[in-house]
Amino acid sequence: MQALIDELKSRIITTLGLERVQPADIQAEAPLFGGGLGLDSIDALELVAMLDQEYGIVIEERTVADQAFASVRALAEFVATHRPKCP
Amino acid sequence: MSLSSLVITGTGVICAAGGNGLELWEALRTGRSGLAPLSLFSSARYGSHLVGQVRLDLDRLAWGVRGSRSDKLAWLAAREALCQARLILGTGVSRPRRSGVLIGSTVGGMLGTEEFVRRFLRGQRPGFGPLRFHECAGAAELCARSFGATGPCATVSTACSAGAMALLTAAELVRTGEADLMLAGGTDSLCRLTLNGFGSLLLLDPKGCKPFDARRAGISLGEGAAMLVVESEAAARARGAPVLARLTGWGASCDAWHPTAPHPEGRGAHEAMRKALACAGLEAPDIDFACAHGTGTPENDLMETKALRRLFGQRLPPVASLKRCVGHTLAASGPINAVVCVQALLEQHLPPNLGFEELDPTLAFGPVLQFRPHPLAHVLSNSFGFGGNNVALVFSKAEAEGRPRPSRGFTLLSGAEPAAAHAPRPWPVAPSRRFPLAVVGAGVVSPSGNTVAEVFLALARGCLPTSVFKMPLPWPPAEARVCACAGFEAGSGLDAGKRRKLNRLQQMALAAARQSLPAHLLRAVLPERVCVALGTGLGALNDTAAFLENMVLKEERAPRPLLFTNSVHNSLASQVAIEFDLRGLNSTPVHREICFEAAFWQGANELLNLEADLALVGAADELSPYVLAAGRRWGWWDAGTAPGRPLAPAPDTRRQPPPGEGSAVFALARPDGPGTPLAWVSGVGFGRFGGGPGLRLDPGAEAAWIQEVLERHGHRAADVDFLLSGAGGRAPLDQACLGVAEALSRLAGRPIPCLAYKPWCGEHYSAPAFGFLTALGLVRGEIPPAACARPSDQPLVADRGCRLVALCTFSPGGTKAICCVCA
Repeated sequence: MQALIDELKSRIITTLGLERVQPADIQAEAPLFGGGLGLDSIDALELVAMLDQEYGIVIEERTVADQAFASVRALAEFVATHRPKCP
Repeated sequence: MSLSSLVITGTGVICAAGGNGLELWEALRTGRSGLAPLSLFSSARYGSHLVGQVRLDLDRLAWGVRGSRSDKLAWLAAREALCQARLILGTGVSRPRRSGVLIGSTVGGMLGTEEFVRRFLRGQRPGFGPLRFHECAGAAELCARSFGATGPCATVSTACSAGAMALLTAAELVRTGEADLMLAGGTDSLCRLTLNGFGSLLLLDPKGCKPFDARRAGISLGEGAAMLVVESEAAARARGAPVLARLTGWGASCDAWHPTAPHPEGRGAHEAMRKALACAGLEAPDIDFACAHGTGTPENDLMETKALRRLFGQRLPPVASLKRCVGHTLAASGPINAVVCVQALLEQHLPPNLGFEELDPTLAFGPVLQFRPHPLAHVLSNSFGFGGNNVALVFSKAEAEGRPRPSRGFTLLSGAEPAAAHAPRPWPVAPSRRFPLAVVGAGVVSPSGNTVAEVFLALARGCLPTSVFKMPLPWPPAEARVCACAGFEAGSGLDAGKRRKLNRLQQMALAAARQSLPAHLLRAVLPERVCVALGTGLGALNDTAAFLENMVLKEERAPRPLLFTNSVHNSLASQVAIEFDLRGLNSTPVHREICFEAAFWQGANELLNLEADLALVGAADELSPYVLAAGRRWGWWDAGTAPGRPLAPAPDTRRQPPPGEGSAVFALARPDGPGTPLAWVSGVGFGRFGGGPGLRLDPGAEAAWIQEVLERHGHRAADVDFLLSGAGGRAPLDQACLGVAEALSRLAGRPIPCLAYKPWCGEHYSAPAFGFLTALGLVRGEIPPAACARPSDQPLVADRGCRLVALCTFSPGGTKAICCVCA
């Protein structure tokens, strides 16, 4: 799980172009949106596209997105549960 | 004469629910929705979604009409409207002399562009044909050409409120006497860009939208066009045209809140409706029906309900959204609402809000469920778009008086502001008594400098752009010489966190806007009293291309929301509004070379109407490899050229200005307004000429038109010191500009030299904004006229003072504009 959290942190930084943010600056439990990172709803949607692109997880409803992006840990759990299983 | 003398004499519509007005009305009467699974093109991801697709054979219906799907839809709706107004196919009909066309469009010919990009990325060598119809401006030009309109012709692109913005602007053009009659409306076809774009924002409801319902979950996209004929009652009566309804009120505002989401409390929506009622001289209880924007997204319907409650109090008039019936037709949605409002007033029936099943306790109201009779005198139509761009229109019964009727026995609740405090606007207004306006601020991002002072200095020294470099092209030849802007990012005054979400074009516009708007000017005005009109010829092309490329390469997986929201034409104007909190009218004209002049007119008109105290007007365009390649194919420029001087005795294609880019923004105010005047603008004018590859421009007739505009604004031809033209080193246009200057000289009885500004800013659609800056420099004595004159005119300009410059733009599409700048 920790490996996935670290991976997600760096993916969030590259996807959103957060030039001055280091992975260590993002707290795993802190809320992703409305917090110190200054992210908004369009960033959330960019992350939806990232999940589709990198993990093959398609989100069609905003309520699902809201739950998934509560924090980086919540996102890691969401990805672990929903990513397509390799045969 | 009261304001109620603006009448609607014709309506036309084509949409999923019907191919004409009668069919649409019949669909509403029987409660039939036009939504069905998509079949216009294949879509891996959204193919099963319900959409409002027009299932008629447009090629057969609009036989012989060359244009994009949007253009054809507009043409069909226009033909119906003009037939009804007895302007075509009628007998013994006299046509008003100055009739114009104003169309709102958001996607234009995107459907064809997508096909082009798809085939290009698959390694085929597609023809450039579809790109000819890419621009939103095509529909207005097609209609003007087909139906012989010779007055103002323009296009606006303010996302989903574009059609309503076109109607509002057309109403103003007729009211101020700029035109006698306007054909106005909106058009948009379905395309992959909007489907994937709204999909990336998670705003689509695959099972069909449910406006105002408790379980509403998003929009259903649709396509269509609707057009209305707007004219003064006197003109309509004189030519014996039927009066269907009156256009009595209109109002526009900007949320200045978020690039896509509406203000949660409906602040801007309320302001637009309040302005529309005030314009009509009505109070909230006078409104008998509200034709809502009602898209079916949770946010829009909630905020619209809040705004309606703030205006009407607890007792709302009947409310209905047409979106379940026709889909969300983007730019056409406002005019479709308008056509239905006119029909409702004629038939005295309410259209139903299809798709509503369950009452939402948060909204706590039920829309009109059944098609039913209801006495209607005044109805309200709402349109809200991305960027918080809001427009509200009021239509009244043909026989109704413009005066407010007695109150119906219930009083306004708190929060609802009395509209009667605002007197109706006077009608008609003599334009010559209204100008001049002061230019109180200027800002620029250009290849020749990123401040006004830098540009003036470069021109005074006779320097040409330094940042000329070779840009790689996706087609042979492998590169093109361009003059590009550089080093402007810091000037936008934004930190890295904000800049990360802004594209290059938005940053250029923000940097220029910041220069034009010093803090003391901003402090002197209220946010609601500042309007923004920023034109763009082609918009954020690089983001549009990136979105399309991503969509094709990944087969519709993972569409990029930020690229979509940033590709919308009005994202520049709305970003400027958000950054500086400017909440007045917010518009984005997109009509090729005249996009700046159209923006200028809109801003100036808001000032002269006393709707705004400060207007920010300007234009911006950026370089894109697609445009460079297509433009080269069409002979717009020669890829290998060095910058040189146009207006040479024999136009020399090897020395024409290379393609350029940039942004220029100006702050305007009334003479009694804030700020110190840098220069004055004494008038603007619009019209049409032949157009086309050979230009078909008659210098004598154009000189006479320029003289007419000058005289309308209190000048004589002899007052003009210089004609500042958009000559760019290409034979037909340069010779035409010289010809017009010669003809004007004959009328004036003294030589009027023709100057050119493109050598310093490059060739692009927003170049006339840089022409305006040149005019500013000329009348202020900062730029010597010799810097812009051709060699043979040097003796003539050497000792000539400069008090009045006529900035003249002739677009090869057949539209023309003039702007008079004086010291």
